[in-house]
Amino acid sequence: MADSVRAQLLARLRAQETETEPEEIARALAALGHAQAARAPHPDVHTAFLANVLANQGTVELARDRGAAVQAIGRYLYQRFRTHKLVAGNDPRLAAMPWRDGGVLPRFGAAEAGDAAALSYAKLGVAETGAIVTFTGRANPGRNNLLPEDHLVLVNREDVVSTLEEAWVRIRKDTQAGNWPRGIQFIAGPSSTADVEAQLVLGAHGPRRWHVILVGDTPTSAVDAARESLAAAPL
Amino acid sequence: MKLASENFLQEASAALNAQEKVARRNLLGQFLPLARGSAASKYGDFDALRAHMKRVRRHTSEHLSHYLQQFEEAAVQHGNQVHFVADAEQLNSKVLSICQAHSARRVAKGKSMVTEETGLNELLLKAGLEVLETDLGEYIIQQAGETPSHIVGPAFHKSLAEIRQLFLDKHKLGERSLETASEVVEEARGILREQFLAADVGIIGANALVAEHGTSMLVTNEGNGDLCANLPPVLIVCTTFERLLPRAEDAVALQRLLVRSATGQPQTCYTSFYSGPRREDDPDGPLETHIILLDNKRSDILASDYREILDCIRCGACLNHCPIYIGVGGHPYGWVYPGPMGSVLTPLLTSLEQAQALPNACTSCGRCAEVCPANIPLPDLLRDLRQEESVQRIKPARWRHGLRLHAWLLRQPRLYQLSTGWTMSLLGWLGKRRGAFRRMPFASGWTGQRDFPAPEGGGTFMRQYAGRRRGARRG
Repeated sequence: MADSVRAQLLARLRAQETETEPEEIARALAALGHAQAARAPHPDVHTAFLANVLANQGTVELARDRGAAVQAIGRYLYQRFRTHKLVAGNDPRLAAMPWRDGGVLPRFGAAEAGDAAALSYAKLGVAETGAIVTFTGRANPGRNNLLPEDHLVLVNREDVVSTLEEAWVRIRKDTQAGNWPRGIQFIAGPSSTADVEAQLVLGAHGPRRWHVILVGDTPTSAVDAARESLAAAPL
Repeated sequence: MKLASENFLQEASAALNAQEKVARRNLLGQFLPLARGSAASKYGDFDALRAHMKRVRRHTSEHLSHYLQQFEEAAVQHGNQVHFVADAEQLNSKVLSICQAHSARRVAKGKSMVTEETGLNELLLKAGLEVLETDLGEYIIQQAGETPSHIVGPAFHKSLAEIRQLFLDKHKLGERSLETASEVVEEARGILREQFLAADVGIIGANALVAEHGTSMLVTNEGNGDLCANLPPVLIVCTTFERLLPRAEDAVALQRLLVRSATGQPQTCYTSFYSGPRREDDPDGPLETHIILLDNKRSDILASDYREILDCIRCGACLNHCPIYIGVGGHPYGWVYPGPMGSVLTPLLTSLEQAQALPNACTSCGRCAEVCPANIPLPDLLRDLRQEESVQRIKPARWRHGLRLHAWLLRQPRLYQLSTGWTMSLLGWLGKRRGAFRRMPFASGWTGQRDFPAPEGGGTFMRQYAGRRRGARRG
């Protein structure tokens, strides 16, 4: 059944098309170019990223290095849940962090139904939309982004790109050796819904809170600048 | 889904009389266009983005067989099973056979207009499966036994009080207040979470199919579609070939248009690109994935003069800007897709004869075409469908003869001006006292809802125009 449907469909489509060599199609496609990215809320890419994370109802924090990141995570977990427990994927970058210094007790693996907080080390941050990018797999099981109450994300300063197109250039580079991940997820905020009388409610099915920690040497004034640029152009 | 567009006029009249619902729709009709407008202007040159997407779409549809095969090849390489199905029945039975092959009992569904179109739930339920819609809006209307009234917010027609009562009736959870939107969402979250974890099969739709990578793009705010795609051991993606785009960058351009046009956000909370079943070392994800590509008359539409409707990205902007849709809501349209896009798609996907009222549910105001992110000339397509109704003699004979008489009169300028001049003087004289008419022969449809204003003095537009031109020449 399916084979004949496929053959019939392709035959119908071909009957309407002018026969073109694949190289010719590729040339025509390349000539179309790409779309423009959205206007940035701030000229500095890291400030724009932070501003858009805030606009997406996320919270932000800066950490000079991985040690500071562990401290920040420890404080966050204690304030929110009075706990030091956390689930995180088997990301070598996460395994190498000084957890004991911050009093954090991570469990490495996939999130289960009762896990309150999960931590991801993002592949990328995208300033244009305030999104972080993760690949599903051992380093970040897909459910870790979705099941917990709070989703914490680390993103390195040098991994923040300005546009979605740049994000795809990086994604292609990271997946070259035929190791395409099952899922590539752009996450831009805690899970939300407006299905009840068009009122925005956070924590629909996925995380209720989304906390992004930018790791690297970012001046602390960047967070204030991000807030100011938001106040100047409220969403 | 069963077609009920034949009752459009009766249903629309009833909808106009439900005051509370009219007021809520009017609010949406103000709020959603504002959100869209603000998001579009913050983006930058939104019209250039629309034009770019149109070029990409045209290129894609000119080489659709190429991109379809490229997509299929890549998807199969990732480990997907790709199925082509011709119609609703084939899609439904394919899904059912996959469920049965896994002895599945519970199915969790993300929002999928394609499966609304094929009426999948009905068949699965009949076969004894538990099917749960997980998008909150879809869940609400599923519990209420209703159909979606909007393609983005399926339960926009229900008030918080109605949803509260529905949940109190359906969820046996004892005394609770449930008086805010947050409490309602919280309750649904708790119930659906268990279902996600227990589901044997997940079913989702796709916002785009990326040919170069063989991936499907899923755009949601709730994360329910992603839970369906990540937790159950079997995943089925139900989609159609016109979602194809050549490159990831084209999906990005689509995403920029779609989200701003739908909700006024720059990006939804979750935008995912799924490629297939879990990889060798993966700790989670489905073990088996299927992609079902439905035709359902789309290849006919592609070969017709209505092909541009296939560029529709299901954002709902044309609904939110349509005075008819905001006036009567989604249900009178009688099928899956309401509003301007639905008034074009429904007759093409079902039957023009049964859906003949829909292309006429249009004032030709043009707002839909102004905001359509895919630049679809919706008023033109609706006009062409109306003309087809005349050609195929679907329109009632009275209409056709009336229109023919009108067309003849328009081609006799002298007679036209004379007769309109007389009619106007007569109406002006008859209506001098009240200034308006409560009833008029042949126009009860118009005067049923409002008074017809009597013409003021000064003559017809043509006469005034001619007078001014003479005056200008003299002056």
